[in-house]
Amino acid sequence: MAAYLIRRLLLTIPTIMGIVLITFLLFNVIGGDPARPFAGKNPTPESLHAILAKMGLDKPRFINTTEPLNTQFFDLVRFKFPHSMRYDASFWELLAERGPVSLTIALPAFFISLGLQLGLSLISAARLGRWPDYAITAVCILLLALPPVSLYYCMQWVGGAWLGWFPVAGWEDFPYSLKYVCLPVICAVLASLGAGTRFYRTVVLDEVGQDYLRTARAKGVSETDVYLVHLLRNALVPVVTTTVTQLPLLVLGELILESVFQIPGLGGLLVGAILNNDYGVVMPVTYLSSISYCLSLLATDILYTLVDPRIALK
Amino acid sequence: MSTSSAPTLSATDAVPRGLMKRVLARLPARVALVVIGLYVLAGLIPWIGAIPRFPQQYSPLQLAGERAVQSEDSYSPPSVASFGRWFGTEIAGRPVIWRLMCGANVALTLAVCASLLTLMIGLIFGLLAGYFGGWVDALIMWLVTTISSIPWVLLLLAMVYALRNVPILPPEVVGGERRPLGPLAIIIIALGLTDWVGLCRLVRGQTLQLRSRDYISAAVAMGAGTPRIIFRHILPGVWHLVIITSSLGVIAYVQAEVVMTFLGLGVTDQPSWGRMIDDAKLELLRGVWWQFAAATAAVGILCLALNILGDALRDALDVRR
Repeated sequence: MAAYLIRRLLLTIPTIMGIVLITFLLFNVIGGDPARPFAGKNPTPESLHAILAKMGLDKPRFINTTEPLNTQFFDLVRFKFPHSMRYDASFWELLAERGPVSLTIALPAFFISLGLQLGLSLISAARLGRWPDYAITAVCILLLALPPVSLYYCMQWVGGAWLGWFPVAGWEDFPYSLKYVCLPVICAVLASLGAGTRFYRTVVLDEVGQDYLRTARAKGVSETDVYLVHLLRNALVPVVTTTVTQLPLLVLGELILESVFQIPGLGGLLVGAILNNDYGVVMPVTYLSSISYCLSLLATDILYTLVDPRIALK
Repeated sequence: MSTSSAPTLSATDAVPRGLMKRVLARLPARVALVVIGLYVLAGLIPWIGAIPRFPQQYSPLQLAGERAVQSEDSYSPPSVASFGRWFGTEIAGRPVIWRLMCGANVALTLAVCASLLTLMIGLIFGLLAGYFGGWVDALIMWLVTTISSIPWVLLLLAMVYALRNVPILPPEVVGGERRPLGPLAIIIIALGLTDWVGLCRLVRGQTLQLRSRDYISAAVAMGAGTPRIIFRHILPGVWHLVIITSSLGVIAYVQAEVVMTFLGLGVTDQPSWGRMIDDAKLELLRGVWWQFAAATAAVGILCLALNILGDALRDALDVRR
């Protein structure tokens, strides 16, 4: 176990280095001058340099002969991100301020969606080849085919403008935010429902024919318990994977959703940053989400042993 | 993969015979294929030049003049009065049906070019990694794991962000003018450079499996060179993965175009489905729903058809086993 963990940890290092390298290449080397979008129409070299200095990018990219560690590349390695010019704040400040807003939408949406996906896939598998299965599959395929942007606009129009049940868009502080949370959460659930349910359906169907279910039924376990207790526990491995890999990303919010509903979370912020070429937001988000994904994959491998003792780590 | 217990002596056994026949045995798959064919036809129309030209980008002056002339009646709801009005006209008075066809054209270009790019990179890297193993495999798989740990939308975004600054040719060759790549070309390259990892992984796995088959050993024993083994003996055995990945890839490409356009990084110089959906921002408030609905339906029906076809292909090929 310890040997496996150490090896797995060592194997993660090259991947993380690869992420650092790719982000760095895309943004700092190929991408244009990050100061240019904020320097006005006719920038002088001095004004460009002043902006670069404010962003913290007025240093060599890779090699600094006097101070070897004071380079753009090492800043990235040390999670020291350039100053965001559009929002005039460091990325960490923005994260602390906007992250919680994103979470109030993303967390409930994630868990409601996960519960629905599991529930629907179990129903679908239990009624395989009969109408509930067909109905669920049909709805899922439809939801999968619909572009999320369209789904959000439709829901905004139906729930907000036509029925008038929810505010169309906007945000207020905590006690009032509940009103604004509903519609985005419903949208987020619907958008993720199709793919998730189809995926879990195949997972559950893989288990349906197994011997242990027959044994359970022979013991006289009720059909509900067969599915909810015996089968569900064995289908937990992929659930753990998605949960652990998705949870850290939730704080980044959903780009389009937050933009459509004008929620001041990180996703909406990112959209604004993209439209304004704000390097100080786009780069850290890309970088951090990749690293956290990588680390959570590592975490899932460890969690597997807890969920499923049959998986021996070698 | 192969159902017979006898050792397979040719690569073509890896792909079941009569694939198309098996796929087309089902009604939904047949309908899906017809629908996709119609989309392809619609996408070809703008190239033939059958579409009347409409100015795509108005200057502020033109727009002001147009508003003055047409006041509020520039858009009109769907009607059967004339072909141009079947799906109504959008906010600037351009027929939605023509814009749909232009969108189909963009989607077709996107699907063909991005799939080809994905296919080339994914196939070459997958075959190399699977066939040679060793450090080649380690290097390619390192690239694959790295790229697949970056969330797709963000990677795509970073790629588009970076590519916008890459001129087609260095300024001194063109003559001082920095001509960046066109928006559609940028999306195609970005999609191709990011989406190959899935195919690469599949192809590598299949190549690893095929390499240990008897017919490969036989080919080696008969003195076949490495290129011949790869192209004649292994490539046909991984072809089915390409078909399925492409059919599902097109869904991702069409949807990615919508997302990218929404984020302001998409197609900006010609009408596309993404732009039509994006226009809803302005239109839905005034009750102009038909352009939005038409574009959504166009994307939705195409993705539905591709999904059904992809499922049928997967069932016919039974990749999971």
